[in-house]
Amino acid sequence: MSLADPQFNALGELHHFIDLDGLDKSILTQILDTAEGFAGVNDRTIKKVPLLRGTTVANLFFENSTRTRTAFELAAKRLSADILNVDLVTSSTTKGESLLDTLQVLEALQCDMFVVRHPDSGAAHFIARHVSPSVNIINGGDGQHSHPTQGMLDMFTIRRHKGDFANLCVVIIGDIRHSRVARSDISALVKLGAGEVRIVGPRTLIPAEVESLGVKIYPSIDKALVGADVIMGLRLQKERMRTATVPSSGEFYRTYGLSPERLALAKPDALIMHPGPTNRGVEIASSVADGKQSVILEQVTYGIAVRMAVMSIIAGNATSLRRAQS
Amino acid sequence: MRVSTNALVIINHARLLDSDELHTITLRDGVVESISPSDRAGQIPTVGTAVETAMDAALHIEANGQIAVPGMCDLYARLREPGLTRKGSIASESNAALAAGFTRVLCSPDTQPAIDSIATVELIKQRAEMAQGAQIFPIAALTVGLAGEQLSELATLQAAGCPAASQADYPLGNTNVLFSAMEYAASFSMPLFMTARDAQLGADGCAHAGAIATKLGLPEIPVAAETVALARLLELCRETSCQLHISRVSSARALQMIDAAKQAALPVTCDVGLHHLFFTDDHLSGYDSSFHSEVPFRSIADRAALRQGVIDGVIDAICTDHAPHERDASLAPFPSTESGLSAYPWSMPLILQLTDILGFSLSQVFEKLSAAPKRIIDGGSSSGLKPGEMAEFFLLSDAPIEPVKVILESAGTNHPLSIHSPAEIGLEPLHGKVTNVFLQDRHHTI
Repeated sequence: MSLADPQFNALGELHHFIDLDGLDKSILTQILDTAEGFAGVNDRTIKKVPLLRGTTVANLFFENSTRTRTAFELAAKRLSADILNVDLVTSSTTKGESLLDTLQVLEALQCDMFVVRHPDSGAAHFIARHVSPSVNIINGGDGQHSHPTQGMLDMFTIRRHKGDFANLCVVIIGDIRHSRVARSDISALVKLGAGEVRIVGPRTLIPAEVESLGVKIYPSIDKALVGADVIMGLRLQKERMRTATVPSSGEFYRTYGLSPERLALAKPDALIMHPGPTNRGVEIASSVADGKQSVILEQVTYGIAVRMAVMSIIAGNATSLRRAQS
Repeated sequence: MRVSTNALVIINHARLLDSDELHTITLRDGVVESISPSDRAGQIPTVGTAVETAMDAALHIEANGQIAVPGMCDLYARLREPGLTRKGSIASESNAALAAGFTRVLCSPDTQPAIDSIATVELIKQRAEMAQGAQIFPIAALTVGLAGEQLSELATLQAAGCPAASQADYPLGNTNVLFSAMEYAASFSMPLFMTARDAQLGADGCAHAGAIATKLGLPEIPVAAETVALARLLELCRETSCQLHISRVSSARALQMIDAAKQAALPVTCDVGLHHLFFTDDHLSGYDSSFHSEVPFRSIADRAALRQGVIDGVIDAICTDHAPHERDASLAPFPSTESGLSAYPWSMPLILQLTDILGFSLSQVFEKLSAAPKRIIDGGSSSGLKPGEMAEFFLLSDAPIEPVKVILESAGTNHPLSIHSPAEIGLEPLHGKVTNVFLQDRHHTI
């Protein structure tokens, strides 16, 4: 009924990395296993491997970003790729050039891999369907839809600490409705067989028919946290408070904020995660964000290894496709 | 498409709706003179040829068993002219309508400028006259520039030939203005064609608020965006007795409300977009922007209710909601594509599939597209296919058609069938094509 998933090449291998929904567990596990290898590289004195030597990666960010863009840049550099940062927020697209024209110009500059962030949900799908077959797309976040490398680095962090997903109880708190991170985390957790995924937040921040994603809604954070192995916070965007979805940051903290008292309801070894940037005193207390159960900075570090894994797998598949076709 | 005019036209071996008997239809000076059983013994000439005999200067058309159907009347379509001619023109779209069997089209006022002045109405009528396509009836813009603030000169526009007024897909947030508009229109018995959509709720949305929008992260249009606006319209209708036509109903709950209003004898009618009887939000999977509709495709349950509404008669009529676009309008990520489907090139095969979907006979299906909409705009004075009436009908071939071979009279190719096979999007194989249209003294060979 729907358009075909554009993520796979003619050999059925991963060609673009856009969305975790279309990928099966074996691909997610392959990414996590490959990232384990790269995590070692990042601990070495010379943090560089030559896997992407001669490859040009372009960071195409149609939306502001520091963390994600930097992490992709470092990942590409550690794979020995050439990296081009194109700031499209203030560039040609604001002059009226269409998205496709922008892409064609960058294709003409013979870049091999585009990392794309765009404010429209579905932008990465659209781009993947329209670029030349020799270019690979990695989704760096599209609208409210998907942020698959963030989802995978979260899974990597959880697996490092908890080993298996089967018996895990994961609680995701806050703005699920507008969060691409939440959608990718939920998708990955469900694929990897997490025992239970609970979401909690005011109804204004929960999307329609969210149970269809494989989660349970908890109206009360205190009930949701009981027995939790992993607690994931989400950034509450300030503009949400202007659109009447949340009355104030103070009330949000009182009703859904992760305080030390609430943390005590979860399992003693529960992990505290957050994709950043954190709003301290809004979603999370400073003492919890900086506490011993917090792995927020580890997530940032592992983000490099996970992105190296995704890039190298895609580049490897592109090479095997070229060989098969020649 | 070829156009000819002959004083005398004789159509042999045409079937009438729901009948296997063959008939001869005679037209003289654009008027249906007679419809009588054909002589079955007569030899049937080559299919679809028009043979002009020097003897009587009559145009003889061999219908070869094709069905003669009263011309359809589309209650909502966009012709894009004036102002948006990169998407379509009165010439292209009125001919696309005719080629699809629509002899009358009510065109949306959402042109640039909007249809809020007599000058624009005159321009549209002149261009339509030149185009020699379907008869065009401009719907007046309810407010100046569709800005939702000041009433258009509705009485003047009505006198100039606008059968109704509408706010199109533009918001009308100010209830004072809406109340006045309905009172004012009621003074002149001018029907209002209103699409129920709240000015704020779901205003940034592009997909039905359901599992698909949640999965794809698409901004949502909740059912309440329709029902809240509908409740306001129905209450003001009760207050003003304005003749209210709800254009393009999309949800089960909205239908219940309209049904209740009809039970309470409010002067309310409604229609549904043709595609809403086929497609649901599931079709958006994979960000398929060929299904990006301004009135969103909703759930499977909503579609079932809409189909039932047509069967029960709560839904009076079916419109096409035709919205042609240039190719660039679709070349963007889903939320940034322009909404709307170019309906005419594919409407007839879809209409014919309604017989199975609704359990209707062909005449019941066409009633919703012909007699019913005509009743809404002029009391249904003429069917166009009865002795003594001005001719307004077409011949329908039931032959299978290939989507790729559809002749695009319309400037717009933005339709799921331009990129999908029927089976891929849950449709049966396509069949059904209009071959000839008779509109007053004009005969069009499609």
